Parts: sequence; structure tokens; C-alpha cells
Amino acid sequence: MFGTILLAVFLLVGGGLHAQTYHWSLPKGFPKPRVPHDNPMSDEKVELGRRLFYDTRLSVNGKSSCATCHKQELAFTDGLPVAIGATGEEHPRGAMSLVNVAYSAVLTWSNPNMTELEQQALTPMFGELPIELGLRAGDGFLPRLRADAKYVLLFKRAFPVESDPLSIGNVTKAIACFERSIISARSPYDRYHYGGEDAAVSAAAKRGEILFFSQPLSCFRCHGGFNFSGGMHEVEFHNTGLYNLGGKYPEPNVGIFEFTKDPKDMGKFKAPALRNIALTAPYMHDGSIATLDEVLTHYAAGGRTIEGGRYAGIGHDNPNKDPLIGGFSLSAQGRADLIEFLKTLTDQDLLHDPRFANPW
Amino acid sequence: MAYSRFFSATLLLTVFCGFLAAQAANDSAPALPEIAIKGDIPEAVVLKAADLAQMPRETVSVPDQDGSQISYEGVALRDILKKAGIPVGKDLRGKAMSSYILAKAHDGYQVLFSLGELGSDFGNEDIVVADKRDGKALFGYQGPLRLVCPKDKAGARSVRMLESIEFVRLQK
Repeated sequence: MFGTILLAVFLLVGGGLHAQTYHWSLPKGFPKPRVPHDNPMSDEKVELGRRLFYDTRLSVNGKSSCATCHKQELAFTDGLPVAIGATGEEHPRGAMSLVNVAYSAVLTWSNPNMTELEQQALTPMFGELPIELGLRAGDGFLPRLRADAKYVLLFKRAFPVESDPLSIGNVTKAIACFERSIISARSPYDRYHYGGEDAAVSAAAKRGEILFFSQPLSCFRCHGGFNFSGGMHEVEFHNTGLYNLGGKYPEPNVGIFEFTKDPKDMGKFKAPALRNIALTAPYMHDGSIATLDEVLTHYAAGGRTIEGGRYAGIGHDNPNKDPLIGGFSLSAQGRADLIEFLKTLTDQDLLHDPRFANPW
Repeated sequence: MAYSRFFSATLLLTVFCGFLAAQAANDSAPALPEIAIKGDIPEAVVLKAADLAQMPRETVSVPDQDGSQISYEGVALRDILKKAGIPVGKDLRGKAMSSYILAKAHDGYQVLFSLGELGSDFGNEDIVVADKRDGKALFGYQGPLRLVCPKDKAGARSVRMLESIEFVRLQK
């Protein structure tokens, strides 16, 4: 009670004294993220968004929140092959990391039309195929928030010009602002590459970096730039030869073909950012590869061969496979070096940063 | 028989050591700054760090991803070609116009440039063989030498880990 009163005083006094601002603490080499014109960043929206992100009241049964599938300690993934919703329903694909999501031109594994976080948040909140948070219009979700005096104040401060700011639209705007604020730029690799700290990474990692950016491996062609991902403005989707069921991928994970219906798009998925990749196992859109070592085996072979069972097939020969996935030879030393390099992308500060932690 | 076994063991060991050396070479970092110019020229030329330091230095700027400018310092590619006897400037005419160079990287990456696009009277590309970025020696996968092509919109011709330039004449 006392805390609520203090918060109220702080919000009312603070809100009246200054305009909303937001300062991106970005190191050299990191561009300013693109932000929608109708949802500029502010400290107030980020703070509100953080509370909503971690609030289990945003689920049908009070058991889940956004953070259930996006855990800070796992670089905002969940460690599971595929995400599991509040009611126990499995999502067909794994939860993607939210780290540096502000730089993503498209947001999900395989929907080329999903470009804004505000729009995307509606899917886990209200989606039914599958049920994630399981919210439905009229199920008391907004009244639950309205009954909490803290939320009334936080919404008022985050959206000060609106007479009734407690709306679904503003919930998604605030969550989107919090998600955009999750920037990883303090990994050992950043300290080495941008900060000039030669000792921040090992000699093995430096050798691995050269392999990563080399012509034979060409990892950087799909995982490029400061974020080790596809482009900030245009995103390419890739069929990496993970499956080959007569040229197809197992339903329902057929890649962007689901939306484009172009047979050439069968099995094409987004190349995720590799920052903190050592923490985000299992890998690939369906979590079907357990370790980084096995991921390298998949790419070195130019596709995965599944010898038996319902997914049996030679991914290397998938007719829709990206020509970049041609395979390569990698010594045991090179493999170890490459994994050491990938581990340097782990940003320990991010994992413990209180700005991104559960406020409840 | 004993000799034969010894010979076989030695041969196996030699092959194995050769394999290890090849693997090490494949995975190792490039050596100190050094560029070889070879191909259809009277004599191959190797320029080491000291040679590059004594040649006229040029600085070019290219945009970084955050919109700031990155400054690369090195030697103009034209000057390096001229030093190796490759026709540039006034000598770039006639049959020489069908010549090109291949810029080759440590990892096998190759990019082709025609002499015409490099010539000051023609394409006038201000390409630099850089050994410094923002005043510091190029390191890691970028260096120790790289091409910087400031007029290019994409970076694919700015060859990293540059090791050699091969000159090819199509008409002699």
C-alpha cells in the first residue's frame, strides 16, 4: 500500500515535470533501431511494458506471461524445442529470442508479413491456433489490469495525452517498447571487436571468427552484420536442407510457403540472430537440433540426413535448398574454434541487467 | 621386412603430419601484412608491411551500419599495380583495355576488376589496399590487408584478408 502511494506520488510529480524521452545506450557500430511513428520509445512505456511482459494476469489461467517463453536467463528464449502455451498446448515452432529484436525487419520464423512488434504481440495474447496466453476479448483481462492502482498510474504516465489509456492497443505498444529496449551489445565479442579489448576473447575464438567469415563456410552470408542476422530492412528466408520429404518439409512447418504458396518457398525460414546463441538451444525453427556442434554437422554436410522414421530423407538433396548451403570441411580444431567464437556472443550483462528483469 | 615396416610407418607419419599441417593452414589466421602481385607481368612482386608504409598513403571513408564514417588508410590500388608494372594511367590503352586483375583472399574468395574501371580516365574507382581502420591495424577476419571500394554500394568487392593480386591480359 505504502509502495503504491509512493509510486503514485512519483508518477504524478515526475509525469508533470518532463516530456517523454528515451535514450538508446548504443555502442559504435550499432545503428539506432527503427521505431514505428505511432509508438515512439519512452522510459515510461518501457517500464509499463516490462511489468506487462512479466505479468501472469496476461494469460487465461494466470499461469503464463510473455516471460514464460522468453526468459531473461536464456537470452529471452525458453530452452524448449517448441513453445508451450498456458494451457499446455504445443506451438509448432520454438520461441525466438527477443534480444535485439528491435533490429529485426520481420519477427517470426516464417511469416514475412509480421513486421511490427505491436502487431505480433496480439498473436500470443489472443491466438487460438495454438493457444499461447489464451486471452479472449471480454474475459476480464483489461478489468483485471484496471483494478490494479499501479497499472492505472503507469498507463496514465506512459500515455499521458489519452483520457482512457488502458486499452489493448496500448498494452501491445508498451510491451513492444520494452522488447525493443532489450539490446545486447556487451558480449566479449563486442568488447573485442568494437571496444578494442584484444584479451576479451581467446585465440581459439579469434580463429573461429575468421572461419565464420571465411568463403568456404560463409556463415556470415545469412548471419551477417553487427547482429549476426539477416538484414535490418530486407530479410531473406532460407531452406537449409533440414528436411527432404520429396522436396517438402513436415507440416505445419513449411516455412514462408504457408503464406506465399510459391513452391520455391517450401522450407524457407528466417535466419535468426546469433547473439547469445550458446544459450538458446535447442536450435532451428522446430528445436530439432540439440547442440551447436550438431548444428555445425548439419551445415558441414550441406543438409541433414534423417535415416529412418516419418521424416526420413536426405536434406542435402532438397530441391529448394539455398545454394549457400553447399557443405564444407571442418577440422576438429576448426569446429572447436568456431564454437568458441559463437560463445563469445553471449552477453552476461544482458542476462543479469535489472532493466530487463521481472519487476514483480 | 623390418625396413619395409619402418618405411611404411615413416610414410604414414609423414602423410599424417602433412594432413595436420594442411588442416592447421586451413584454420589458421593470415600472416603479417603482405601482398603478392603476380600473373602476366615480367616478375612477381611482393610488398611487405614496410614497403606499403613507404608508399604514398591514402585515406578513404565508408559508412558504418550506424551511419557513422569508418576511415580506412592504406595504399591506392593503382599505385600498387603501377609498381608491379601493370599498365595504369597513360599506359592503359589499346589491348591493355582488355586486361583485368583478380583480388584473392586468404580464404579463397576472389573478385575481379577490369583495369578500365580502375583507371583515372575511365571508371576512376578510388580503391585502397588498407592496413588500418580508424587508425588501428586491421585485425581478425578483416585483415591484415583488405580492399576498400568506397564507391561501391555493397561490400562484396571489398575483399577481406587480401593476399594477392593476379594480373591477366586477354589480348597480348
